[in-house]
Amino acid sequence: MSEVTITTKPTKSGSTLRSLRTKEQITGYLFTLPALIIILIFGLFPIGYSFYMSLFNWRVTKGAFIGGSNYLLIFGTWTNLLITLAGLALIMLAFWVWSNAYKSLDKSQKIAKLIAAVIMIIGGVIFVTGWGFMYESGNKSFLKSLIVTLYYALGTVPAEVLLGMMLAFLLYQEIVGKDIFRMIYFLPYVTPSVTTAVVFQIIFSLRETSIANMIIGWFGISPQKWRFEPRPLLNLIGLNIDGFLAGPSLALISIMLYGIWSFVGYNTVIFLAGLGNIPKETYEAAEIDGATRGQIFRLITMPLLSPTTFYLTLVGFIGTFKAFNHIYVLRTPSAGDSVITTSLLIFDNFYKANQYGIATAQAIILFLVILGLTLAQNKLMGERVFYG
Amino acid sequence: MGKLEIKPPPVVLVTRAKRSSFHFVGRLLTYAVLIFGAIIFIFPFFWMISSSLMTLGETITRVLLPKVPQWENYIEAWNQAKFSKYFFNSVLITVGTLAGLLMTSILAGYAFGRIDFKGKNILFGLFLATMMIPESVTLIPNYLLIRGSIFPIPGGTWLNKYWSLTIPFIANAFSIFLLRQFFAQIPKELWDAARIDGADHLRFLIQIVLPISKAPIMTVLLFGFTGSWNAFQWPLLVTTNDTWRPIMVGLWSFVNEAGPQTHLLMAGAVISLIPILIIYFLTQKQFTQGIATTGLKG
Repeated sequence: MSEVTITTKPTKSGSTLRSLRTKEQITGYLFTLPALIIILIFGLFPIGYSFYMSLFNWRVTKGAFIGGSNYLLIFGTWTNLLITLAGLALIMLAFWVWSNAYKSLDKSQKIAKLIAAVIMIIGGVIFVTGWGFMYESGNKSFLKSLIVTLYYALGTVPAEVLLGMMLAFLLYQEIVGKDIFRMIYFLPYVTPSVTTAVVFQIIFSLRETSIANMIIGWFGISPQKWRFEPRPLLNLIGLNIDGFLAGPSLALISIMLYGIWSFVGYNTVIFLAGLGNIPKETYEAAEIDGATRGQIFRLITMPLLSPTTFYLTLVGFIGTFKAFNHIYVLRTPSAGDSVITTSLLIFDNFYKANQYGIATAQAIILFLVILGLTLAQNKLMGERVFYG
Repeated sequence: MGKLEIKPPPVVLVTRAKRSSFHFVGRLLTYAVLIFGAIIFIFPFFWMISSSLMTLGETITRVLLPKVPQWENYIEAWNQAKFSKYFFNSVLITVGTLAGLLMTSILAGYAFGRIDFKGKNILFGLFLATMMIPESVTLIPNYLLIRGSIFPIPGGTWLNKYWSLTIPFIANAFSIFLLRQFFAQIPKELWDAARIDGADHLRFLIQIVLPISKAPIMTVLLFGFTGSWNAFQWPLLVTTNDTWRPIMVGLWSFVNEAGPQTHLLMAGAVISLIPILIIYFLTQKQFTQGIATTGLKG
C-alpha cells in the first residue's frame, strides 16, 4: 500500500501542477495580447507589407507585379550594385587586416599594414567606380540623398559627442548651480523639434537683420542666405571644388547647427551618467600612485567612458539616418536637393509624387544601409570599447 | 623599500599645490564655458518668447526686446489662428494614447518579466525588433491600413479620425521593455507570499507590483507624453482638416498659411511648448534620470 501511495501522490500533484502551468501559460498570453495585437498590426505586419509593395508598380493603387524593378531603378543595373558592394567588402577587409596587424608585434606588422593599405586603395577605387556607374544609370536623387544624409551624420554626430563630453566633464565637478546648467542644456532635447525648428527657421532666415546674419556680422562677415543657400560653404569661401569633396551646402549646415544645438544636451546627460558610474576608488588609487590629471584622463576616464561614447555615436548615426521632423520644417525650395536626406526623399516620393512602390523600395534600402552601418560600427568600434 | 614609502607623500603635496594655484583660473574658465553654453541653449527660447510679445514691425527690425509687450498676440493666436483647437486636440490625443499605453505595457511588461509561457522569448525578440525598424519602412503600409485600403476597418476609413492618431501608438516595445526590466527585479518572495494568500497574477500586479513601480511607470508616462505631444510626421499624413489636427501640425500649417506673421507664429510656438515645459520642470529629476538609465541600456 505504501508503494501505491508513493506512486499516486506524485501523479496527483503533477496533474495539479500541470493545470497550474496551463493557467500560467494562458495568463501570460492574455496579458501580452493587447500589446501583441497593436504591435503585430502596426509594427510587424507593415515590414512585410512594405517589401510586398516594393515589388509592384504601385501608384496610389496596386499595379502590375514587376519584381525587383523598383530596386533596379535605384542602382541602374545589378552589376553596378555588385561592383559597389565588392568595393565596400574590400574596404572592410582592409580594416580587418589593419586591426589584426596591431595585434602582432613583430616585423610582419609593417607588411600587413602595407597590404591593408593596398587593399584599401583597390577597394576605394572599385567602390567609387561602382558608385559612379550607379550615379550615371540609377536614381540620382536617391543616391544624392544618401550623400546628403552622410554629410549630415558626419557633420553632426562627432560634434555632438565631443561637445557633450566636454560639457559633461565640466559639469562633473563641484559646480554651483549644476542642476540648473544640466536642466538648461537638456531643454532643447525635451522640447518639440517642430517648435524649436520653427524658431530656427526665423533665426536662419535670409533677412539681413536675422539673428544668424547679426552674429556673423559681429565678425565682419557679409549677410548670407542660410536655409535658402544651395551652394556649398567651400564654394562660398571662394574654393572651386566640385562633387563630394565640395561638402554640404550652407542650407544643410544651418540644419546641422540646429541638430547639434538640439542633441548636445542629450549627450551631456548620458555622459554625466557614464562618469557617475566610474568608481571613485579608481581615481583615488591613481592619485596615490602619483598619476597626473592628464594620465588619469587618458588611462582611466576615457577607457571607462568608451561604452558610453560608442553608444552615443551609434545612436547618433542611426538617429541622423532616421531624422525627419526638423529637416522637413527647416528645408526651403530654393535649397533644392542639397538638404533632402533619404527619409525626406522617401516621404516626398510617397506623399507628393504618390510613387508608393518606389518609395517602399527606397525605404527598404535605407533600412539595409542603417543595418549595415550599425554592424560595421559594431565591428570597427566595438573592438576598441572597454567594458570594465 | 623605505624609499617607496617616502615617495608618495611629496607627489600628493605637489599635485595639491599645483591644483590650488590653477584653481582660480581653472574655475573661472569652467564657469565661462558653462555659462556660454547655457546662453546658446537658452537663447532661441528667450527669443521666441520675446518676439511673441512684439508687434509685427518689431519682428522685422533688429530688436531683441519689444518696447511694449503685446500680450494680445496670444489671444489672437489662441482664437483666430485656432491654436486653441489644435491644443485641445493634442490634449485629447495624448490622454487617450497614454491611457492605452499604460494598460498594454504594464500587462505585457509583467507577463514578460514574471510569467513563464511558451514562445515568450521569441515574442519578446519580435517586439524588440520593431524598435530597430525606421519609420520610413512602416509609414506607407500603415497609411494604407488606416485608410482602409488593405483590409476593411471599422468606420471605413480612419483618416481625420481620433483613432488613427491614438490606436497605433497605444503599445510600443520600448515601454514594455522598460517595465519588464523593473518587474523582473521584484523579489520572488513577494509573489510566493501573495500566492499563499490566494492572489492570482492580476491581483498581485495591481495590489503589490504597481504601488512599488511608480518610478518606471512615471518614466513610461513621460516618454509617452513627449512622444505623443511632439508627434509630427504621422499626424501630418492622416489629418487633412482641422477636426483632429494636433498642435505640431497646426503650427506647421500656420507657418505655411499665415506667411510672415512672425509674432503670432512665435506666440503659437510658446503655446505648443507650455505643457512640455510644465511637466519637464515638475519632473526634472525623474526625466533626466529616466533618460540616463534607459539611454544606457537601450
